[in-house]
Amino acid sequence: MRREAEDHLREVASAKGGTPEAERCAVARFGAPGVIAGQLAAVALAKRAREAGVAVVAVIVFAYFAMQARLAWYALTQWGLSADARAISAVVAAIDRWAFWLAVLVGAVAVACAYRRQLRRFRLLCPVAAGALFASVLCDGILTTLRLREAAWSFDFLVPLLSMAIEIACVAALVLQLRRMARRMAATEALLGA
Amino acid sequence: MEDEMLKNHLDMIVLAALATGPAHGYAVIEEIRRRSGEAFDLPEGTVYPVLHRLENDGLLASRWVTAESGRQRRVYSLTKRGSRALGEQRAVWKAFSDAIGGLLGGARPSKNPA
Repeated sequence: MRREAEDHLREVASAKGGTPEAERCAVARFGAPGVIAGQLAAVALAKRAREAGVAVVAVIVFAYFAMQARLAWYALTQWGLSADARAISAVVAAIDRWAFWLAVLVGAVAVACAYRRQLRRFRLLCPVAAGALFASVLCDGILTTLRLREAAWSFDFLVPLLSMAIEIACVAALVLQLRRMARRMAATEALLGA
Repeated sequence: MEDEMLKNHLDMIVLAALATGPAHGYAVIEEIRRRSGEAFDLPEGTVYPVLHRLENDGLLASRWVTAESGRQRRVYSLTKRGSRALGEQRAVWKAFSDAIGGLLGGARPSKNPA
């Protein structure tokens, strides 16, 4: 935008003679910088919101495939669970499922809001989707711990541990991105309100 | 011309200004001023948020070129989606202005407005 604005102002000034007075006139005709900066910030924010919405969906899809891969790995390694662990695992798995599908539903609505420039709703829904996903990943961690606790250590552990590490890293990156978005939104609102 | 009325139709005005061919921001402003008979005279910088938003929405595309002055210049052009959107907005505007014209002119409105 800086290059565009500079090109615009120099062209206007040169069309009117290139004098200092022409430059002052060009700057005055350009408009209030704060107002234009606020409008541009709002446009950039809408674009970032769409990108964040896509990131929410991507992390959810990745988490889903990571979960499915772990389940397939457990079936392959035939790691069993004791009766106590099975009881706990059933409850945690149910919470995991509900949290995951809540993240999917809320995430989808958040993306739709981002594309419709309903940024306030997007701002409210993103933490809900991220929170539900976080709860799901936490449940995955508990379920993985229950499995690994009952199996003898081997290099087979690396697969579920690595997939959990990647899931946690993706959710952490998403949370950081959403926090940055929330700060940008607050700054843009301040700029537009000034 | 009332600024508020103009702001509500700025997207359509900018798309219409670019319908004749690619142009940079200042050329768009000048085209709007010329074709409106100098009726539209907004602060020149206000066209840039509109251009950026229309580009984000896929209605415009932009590319950087080197101007005669040697400066880098961003030139905007309508995409196919932008041309379609402009066509739709023209039709809506025509129907709206015919209806308002009928009301203000005192003529009986047609039973089936477009």
